[in-house]
Amino acid sequence: MNRALTVARLQFVGWRSVVGWPWGILALSFLINLALFSAMNEADDFEPTTGGLMSIYVVMFVASINAITQDFPFAIGLGVSRRSFYLGNVLNYLGQAVSYAAVLYLLAVIEETTDGWGVNLRFFGIPFLLVDNPVLRFLSFAIPFLLLGFIGIAIALVFKRWGVNGLLMLSTVALAGIGGLVVLATWRGWWSAIGGWFADQPGWALLVGWPALLTLLLAGLSYLTIRRATP
Amino acid sequence: MSAVVTVTDLTKRYQGVTALDGVSFSLAEHRIHGLLGRNGAGKTTLMQILTAQNFATSGEVSVFGQHPYENEQVLSRISFIKESQTYPSHLRVAHVLRAARLVHPGWDEALAQRLVDVFQLPRGRNVRKLSRGMLSALGIVVGLASRAPLTFFDEPYLGLDAVSRQLFYDHLLADYTEHPRTIVLSTHLIDEVSDLIEHILLIDRGRLLLDVEAEALRGQVVTVSGPVAAVDEFARTGTELHRASLGGTARATVRGDFGPAAPDRARSLGLDLEASSLQDIVVRLTTSNNGHAAGGAAAADKEAVR
Repeated sequence: MNRALTVARLQFVGWRSVVGWPWGILALSFLINLALFSAMNEADDFEPTTGGLMSIYVVMFVASINAITQDFPFAIGLGVSRRSFYLGNVLNYLGQAVSYAAVLYLLAVIEETTDGWGVNLRFFGIPFLLVDNPVLRFLSFAIPFLLLGFIGIAIALVFKRWGVNGLLMLSTVALAGIGGLVVLATWRGWWSAIGGWFADQPGWALLVGWPALLTLLLAGLSYLTIRRATP
Repeated sequence: MSAVVTVTDLTKRYQGVTALDGVSFSLAEHRIHGLLGRNGAGKTTLMQILTAQNFATSGEVSVFGQHPYENEQVLSRISFIKESQTYPSHLRVAHVLRAARLVHPGWDEALAQRLVDVFQLPRGRNVRKLSRGMLSALGIVVGLASRAPLTFFDEPYLGLDAVSRQLFYDHLLADYTEHPRTIVLSTHLIDEVSDLIEHILLIDRGRLLLDVEAEALRGQVVTVSGPVAAVDEFARTGTELHRASLGGTARATVRGDFGPAAPDRARSLGLDLEASSLQDIVVRLTTSNNGHAAGGAAAADKEAVR
């Protein structure tokens, strides 16, 4: 556990870029949106919604790929075990997800109390799946960080362990699997049932429950993969 | 003296290639070991397996009495500096040193800072913008300042100029004398390190050719030159590794247990005798199959190539 903490600290030696990129890009995205919608001067009943919040999650995804392609060879080269590296990485992501979600939550609250920064802008509040419970609302900011982080780790690990061929194989299997399911659903006329299922799911299940489950699955598979990966 | 590393019948196969073929040896504590061999001989693979970065196909590896794989107790006592080490692209020189300081329990910050000055490394520069030589110097600083009980240097000098290489050797020796530890130095610049190395491991095509004290080896291999008949006579007492002939004279490199009487014997046969340099020995051992070298022309060609 000590060594895992060491790894988490090691990943923050260049913390300015670790923290700077996601928040810098989010801030830029926010300012552009704010300027844009201030300039538009729309009527009061117009409530613009942007996808700008996605940018911070995309940066997290890219960073998690870098964690495997760059931090992994570095840390292993310095002499930590794969287990410690993995646990340290998990600690690092948990820490980032929790603190970033807290800040995003705070910004969403500010957004609500200032009537969308004075221009009715919805940037941090997610309108279509609003959850009222504060804990679930917090988690709906935090869990997607973890999900994207572990998707990135899983993909990068496939590349690390099985190379380009592994990635091609993964893409082929994914394409065949998803394509097959689409064909099957269309053939059996399941689409309305599937749509109904999604519509019946409460917002928290779509933003928190299912992503959390998928994250755990990916985390487990990634751990098994990294155990035999070479830097 | 106890063994820090024990390797038994270690074999590593990649698809179709045998990188290591039944290698067995042990490394004594507090010595500088030279791991020598040609490109692709298996040196890096061997060090990667000893540091649990790669996996053996078969055979046993024991480091500090335990298997290194996922073994934090063992791994925290190892420093492995390799030419191919990559760094996260956003890090600066100072960041790399801070990271190494976090990981190595025996890290000496004062030494690290001193070495950064010695090698004139720019602390604030991004690692991507370092020249090849500066990257090598950074690895050397990490390797020396980590003060790890077992330190591997895998061709750490790439791109380093002669002055910096000499600085590396000097600081390695000075710090080793003050803080004895087990060092494995893999290098192609054999003559440069021949005074440094106390024990020699020579690998060729995945097999261990030599596992011997440097001092013992020096007396074992000699080069004699003179009339062909006399050279033949001398070579009978050992294994001839190489021969170059010109007219009626020959020059042969011979390995054997000659002892202190060898110079007298050579003189009585009318031969000139010289001790072979470590580099000569390595070249001769890896290019001959211990048999007699082919006739004059081929041998002369080899001579010319060298």
